[in-house]
This record gives sequence, C-alpha cells and structure tokens, in this order.
Amino acid sequence: MKMGIPIPNSKLGMWLFLGTEIMFFTAFIGTYIVLRLGSRGWPTDPEDTHINVTLGFINTCVLIVSSYFVVVAHEAMAQKNFQKARTYLFGTLALAVVFLGIKGVEYAGKISHDILPGRIAETPTQAIQKVNRELEIVVRDRFREYTDAGVVPADRPDDIVSVVSQISALPGSTPPEGVDDDVFAEFQKDAEIDVELFRQWMNLHQHVVANVSLAVPAIPTEYLAARGNLKEGEKLPTLKFEEVEKYLADLKANEKFGSFVTAGVFDPHPVVYGNIFASTYFLMTGFHAIHVIVGMILFVAVLKQGSQLDGRWTDFVENSGLYWHFVDLVWIFLFPLLYII
Amino acid sequence: MSHEAHDTHHVNYLTIFFVLTGFSLLSYIFDILQMSKGVTIVLVLAVACAKALCVMMYFMHLKFEGNWKFVLLAPTTILAIGLPLALFPDVGTSYYTSVAPQTGIWEGEISEYQAHHAQAKAEAAAVPE
Repeated sequence: MKMGIPIPNSKLGMWLFLGTEIMFFTAFIGTYIVLRLGSRGWPTDPEDTHINVTLGFINTCVLIVSSYFVVVAHEAMAQKNFQKARTYLFGTLALAVVFLGIKGVEYAGKISHDILPGRIAETPTQAIQKVNRELEIVVRDRFREYTDAGVVPADRPDDIVSVVSQISALPGSTPPEGVDDDVFAEFQKDAEIDVELFRQWMNLHQHVVANVSLAVPAIPTEYLAARGNLKEGEKLPTLKFEEVEKYLADLKANEKFGSFVTAGVFDPHPVVYGNIFASTYFLMTGFHAIHVIVGMILFVAVLKQGSQLDGRWTDFVENSGLYWHFVDLVWIFLFPLLYII
Repeated sequence: MSHEAHDTHHVNYLTIFFVLTGFSLLSYIFDILQMSKGVTIVLVLAVACAKALCVMMYFMHLKFEGNWKFVLLAPTTILAIGLPLALFPDVGTSYYTSVAPQTGIWEGEISEYQAHHAQAKAEAAAVPE
C-alpha cells in the first residue's frame, strides 16, 4: 500500500517544482502586463522594438515539434523501444539548439541597434546626449591608441585637450624614444584625421552643452556676437534632434573617419518606454532561454547512456518531458505577449 | 506504477501536434490581418489559452491524472493570478499617471518628435521608387 498521492515521488517532486516555476514566470509576465498597461505609448512598432514576429512564430513551431518529439520519446520508453526514444530525444535536443540559434539571431539584432536596458534614449534630448557621449568615446578610443603606443606622452591620457594638442604637433616632430619609425609614420599620417574628428565632436559637444542650434557657430567670438545681436526677450535657436541626426549622417559619410563613427555611434532613435520594454523583454526571454538550456542538459544526460539506455530511465524521461512541456507552455504565452500584442 | 495512468489511455499525439501548429498559425494570421488592437489581443490570448490547455491536458497528461492535480496546482494558480491583481492598483494605475517623466515633463518633446517622425515616414512612403 502506498500512502499519499498515487504517483512516483520523482514525478510529485517535478510537479511541485513546476508549481514554483509557474509562480516564477507568472511574476514576470504579470509584472510585464501591469507595467505595460500603465505605460501609455509603450513601443509596439517593429522599427522601435526590432521584434521579428516571423522568427517568433518559427520558434513557436520549433518548440511545438520538440514537445511532440518528447512525448513520443516517453511513449517509446514505456514501450521499451529505447532506440526510438533516443532518436526522438536527439531530435528534441537538436530543435532546442535551433530555438537558441534563432533567439541568438534576435538578440544580435537588438544588440546591433543598442536596444538594451538602460541604453535607449527615450526623448530627442536624450538621443542627442547619447550621440554626443558615443562620439566622445570614439574620439577617446582613437586617442588611446596614440598614448598606448607611446607616440604621445601619456602622463594624463584622460586629459583630452592636452592629448589633442600633442597629436596636432605630431606631423612635424620626430619619433620619441622606443617608438619604431614606421609605426610613428603611420600615426603621423592619421593625426590630421583624428584631430579633425576631435574638432567635429567638440563642435557638437559645445552646442549640446549650450543647447544651441548647430546653425549658430561655436567659435566664441561669433557665438557671443550672435548673442549680442539678440533683441529683448529673444533667445538663440535651440539644438534640434533633426540637426544632430543630419550632422551625424554627414560624419558617418566622411571618407576619412566615417568608418570609426559608424562603428562607434548608433543611429539616434528615441523610443519612449524603450528601456522598460528592453528590460522586460530580455528578462522574460532570457530566463526562458536558461530553462531551455537546463532542458538540454536533462536530454544530454539521457542521450549519454547511448545503447545502455533502459527502463530505469523511463521516469527520468517522463519528468524531463514534463519540464520541457512547461518550457513550451511559457513560450506559448510569451509569443503573443511580446511579439504580437 | 509510474505508467499506470499512461498505459490506460491512448492519445493520438500527432493530432494534438497538428492542432497546436494550427493554433500557432492562427495567432500569426491574427497579427497579419491588422484588426483592431482590442480584438487582436482577445483572439491571440484565447488561442494561447487553448494551446496551453492542449499541452497540459494531453502532452503533460493532466487529463488522465487523478484529483491530486487540483490540490497541487490550485494554490500556485491562485498566487499566480493574485500577483498581477495585487500589483495593478499600485503600479499599473498609479505610478505612471503623473509622476513618470514620459507622461509629464518629456511629453511635449516626445510628441513633437513623434509627429515629425511620422510626417517624415509618410513623406518617404509617398515618394515613388
């Protein structure tokens, strides 16, 4: 006689675990729904979110096929057809790899557009500041090459004004001690380009700090003259997002340093509530992906038995199957919530 | 023992698989059809619930399990539903009404950008290739 629930302990344990998993994912999904309902203007345009419904749909189908494979594998185990069980479990494992591969493509698409929590500009002003910051990083990275190679003295490598004055003087100077002539010649060749890049960034930076249109010259005398010509109550035109967009496009099109700017500065695109969207998206899909990986480990444990696989593994396959169906179940809700709605 | 329930019933898993695939296709079609937002939400969530039921009942064999399933799943289901309901008054209806900068101090700037962006997109779409 067996007391309690009429199922094996391992299965009871799996169901209790799945009970906690239900609450775990419902906390995320519930919080997402609540945040979304409370955020008027939540991003839904694929141009903003880079959500690919087709890839999401393909992944849904991949998980459904894998769920079917698992259930067939479990049935084969019960019928003691272990070769068939292994074949279907291998199919499930392969589909899990496909799922993660597609997820990886989706993640790469988001990373390449900087759709990451805390990195998205939500307003035009934030987008302008982001361009300014990223351009500064590009300039500093270029200058670091000079200081790291010892071409310019690196007493204060972060003092960008001091470094740029030294780089400006490079074309007419001789190599410092310990620097190869050919290396120095290369840096001399690039110096003019990098100094010009610095000037372009500094021009934008000054306009951002003063919040003045790029149409107003940043040269102090001309800037002060423009201010002096203002009548009572008039203000200099403020810096507009469209101006910065155009300015950045011109920098990226520049033959000499355009490639550095393109590699280091993302196209500005304000997305209201973009950060909370990215947080919830990566949190939910990330935890789901971790569960997929755990499922794969369970299947590998069975497949590792090879031809030794026997009836003792039937409960393990059943419980792994229950876990895998749960992973499928979570995706069944994530797909409409994240991709369609 | 572990296969008692399993051995006493027969499920055509292939049929369940095709039903699930059909439901998934339906969700995708609902997205393409460009219906009103409310209708799409209701339809895709209904389809998701139907798919979840299919998976739980047949793939996870809950249809053939004893009453223990209710004892085990009822508390988690109640807690799972309770959490969003508990959060809703504090977060969903209060936090973002007047305090959030997205709907307060940034709103004018955001609206201006969105109007400009929409106009630029419309103009770009109107230009014949």
